[in-house]
Amino acid sequence: MDRFGIQWTPGGYVSSGGHVFLLVWLIAGWGFDAEPLPFEVSDVSVVSSEEYAAIVEATTPDPSETPPDAPEVPVAEKAPDVPVQQEAAAVPTPPEAAAQDLPPPEAPEDPVPVIDQSPALPGAAAEEVVAAPNLTASPRPVPRPTQRVTAEAVAPPPEDATPDPVVQDRASEEAAPDAPVVEEAQEQTAPEESATEIVTADETPQGQLLETPRPRTRPNVPTPAPAPEVVAEETAPPETPEVAVDADAVAAALEAAAAAAAPADVPQGPPMTGSEREGFRVAVNACWNVDPGSQAARVTMTVGFTLDQGGRVTNSEVRQVAASGGDDASTQIAFDAARRAILRCQGQNGYDLPADKYSEWQEVEITFDPSGMRLR
Amino acid sequence: MMNRFMMAALAAMLALGSTAPVLAQGGPLRLTITDGVIEPLPFAVPTFTAETAGAEQIASDISRLVAQDLTGTGLFREIAQSAYISQMGAFGSPVAYEDWRAINTQALIGGAVAVSGDQLTVKFRLYDVFTGAELGEGLQFAGTVTGWRRMAHKVADAAYSRITGEGGYFDSRVVYVAEEGPKDNRQKRLAIMDFDGANTQFLTDSSTIVLAPRFSPSGDRVLYTSYESGFPRINLLDVGSVTKRQVATAEGEMAFSPRFSQDGQRVVYSIANGGNTDLYISDLNSGGSTRLTNAPSIETAPSFSPDGSEIVFESDRSGGSQIYIMSAGGGEPRRVSFGEGRYGTPVWSPRGDLIAFTKQNAGQFHIGVMRTDGSEERLLTTSFLDEGPTWSPNGRVLMFTRETQGAGGTSALYSVDISGRNLQPVPVSGGASDPAWGPLQP
Repeated sequence: MDRFGIQWTPGGYVSSGGHVFLLVWLIAGWGFDAEPLPFEVSDVSVVSSEEYAAIVEATTPDPSETPPDAPEVPVAEKAPDVPVQQEAAAVPTPPEAAAQDLPPPEAPEDPVPVIDQSPALPGAAAEEVVAAPNLTASPRPVPRPTQRVTAEAVAPPPEDATPDPVVQDRASEEAAPDAPVVEEAQEQTAPEESATEIVTADETPQGQLLETPRPRTRPNVPTPAPAPEVVAEETAPPETPEVAVDADAVAAALEAAAAAAAPADVPQGPPMTGSEREGFRVAVNACWNVDPGSQAARVTMTVGFTLDQGGRVTNSEVRQVAASGGDDASTQIAFDAARRAILRCQGQNGYDLPADKYSEWQEVEITFDPSGMRLR
Repeated sequence: MMNRFMMAALAAMLALGSTAPVLAQGGPLRLTITDGVIEPLPFAVPTFTAETAGAEQIASDISRLVAQDLTGTGLFREIAQSAYISQMGAFGSPVAYEDWRAINTQALIGGAVAVSGDQLTVKFRLYDVFTGAELGEGLQFAGTVTGWRRMAHKVADAAYSRITGEGGYFDSRVVYVAEEGPKDNRQKRLAIMDFDGANTQFLTDSSTIVLAPRFSPSGDRVLYTSYESGFPRINLLDVGSVTKRQVATAEGEMAFSPRFSQDGQRVVYSIANGGNTDLYISDLNSGGSTRLTNAPSIETAPSFSPDGSEIVFESDRSGGSQIYIMSAGGGEPRRVSFGEGRYGTPVWSPRGDLIAFTKQNAGQFHIGVMRTDGSEERLLTTSFLDEGPTWSPNGRVLMFTRETQGAGGTSALYSVDISGRNLQPVPVSGGASDPAWGPLQP
């Protein structure tokens, strides 16, 4: 989309470029000699498809001449096929096997001629053969636009030769089944999905673009409510008394599960901010009394507890989660000190925590690490 | 049955499916705290209940002494009784935790005292106010009325131990050298007292100079150096009977600086001959002696490790006085002190992890501690003259001699926590030096 609101597609580039070139050439005759012009026009208009095929056949090089094509088949071209494998996954045939098996039989068919002709393009005459009439007369649909650059585009054609890809497409359609070049297997897929593009291979690696992962499916959001209905419908039809008992049991289990898991009354706010966490930490820290000369000062203690929505420790229960660095006696003292700190600093009104983020701090684990306070 | 199984499975799946996202949201809020506060723990000791007539005064004295013991550690801070919202009821009655929480009491000690003739019974309970639970179970001690201080010390030891997780040291005694008179004519005699300076008793008269007393591990005997014969010799004194005898040592001009082994059956000491001093060990029963060092330097002030396998001592074999450790059977010692100045009088901690020492550097004396490998040296005190540290039974406190400067300077005993806090004088009447802390009494 440019600033005029026009969306430029590869076909648009080709068409507009050809038209501009033709108009300039016809009106101004700018930069061209008078003699070659009529010669070129008559050539294009007179040659029939059979003759053209004959010419092509005559100009088709031997297989031994394929070396020039080799550079046009970069390995990276295979990368675009990777996403195709995902699509092919729906097909019974393994995608990788298809990619390997298909090329040999199809190699002789498609675009080989195109590739073979492209080396002849650099010649001045060849450029003029490109001729707009062919372009407009082509019944082929415009190639599907892609962001990738075809292998042929790697060859640095003159700027004025932008119509070349079109010729390649057209030629590929009309090409006769010949030229059993092995590389065709790779070229078979590339021309279909590629098109001329402004973006160069140097700027944007094709492989990365095409390997962009597909968007994942949305995670299933549990919906506890409808679940009982479905089960009820499934369990109701059976007539045996066992089923009735099962339905009750399942309903009870579901109800219990929903009650246990349903955070219906638990505010699910955004994550706690750093300052909120720090405020909580400082509040507990202020009550953690450490005796650096004691053996308990060598114990790192982790305790866990549950807070009610008022910020108070539920049932004043603090449990030991982990401990290291001391014997049983010093571990017990370290736990007592941690528990005392937590219970003491909650005060009468509980810890000052954001009520709308209760789900974030309902369960808490605090590690009391006195290593920095030990006597040294 | 199959239907039932499938339904149960479905229910379980639904339950898991509904709880998993909750758990997956991050689990518990996790915090790490690395810098707590260092402050005395607030506690309250309401006057113990007098359960018998006439026990009110002794109940009050005991509760006051318990509070004094705990406060004296520097680890506790007593809440004034005037701040109490409620009083303790009968021993064992429910505690109004809220009232104690309101005045920020963390530990509450409730007790009761009963006197029957000369017999005294003291019982107590310790409460963790903020958890609303009792710390340990109630304890009861029985003794004589005259021994009420020991009863109070035992209550304080139990409370201290339950709160800190470490052994107490209140029901212990200290033997030291009591001094009188000016420096140029100072009279010295052995004395023994409670750790807090109470109940002082003299073990010797001042007719001869006595130095460096050392308690036996069981606390029933004392080794010390006496000039009774005109030369330093090692005596062994029975504390109970106050009888003494000279310890058979190796031949030498002077024998001094004795210390018991951990089993109390041997004594390690120094023998000086012709300007050379080495370490020896003698069996107290057989009198046999073994030489531990043989160097042309001064090796003295030996002290056993708690397990008895090694001996730490001071030596000037490297030029200046430094601290060395060797096997209890002798052998090549290894140097552990490398700081500037002179190190002396090393004493192994009852915990086994530290060595206390005297350090002289830049015109000042220090009491310090270091790891047994010489690392983490910390100087706890600084003065004109601090020397001769001795460990409390729990390895938490050091007592030492501090002498003031000048001709009129006096010697006194001080104690300091191994954290370097709570430096305070020990209340001893008159001058005092060379303290040796004994074990907890049975």
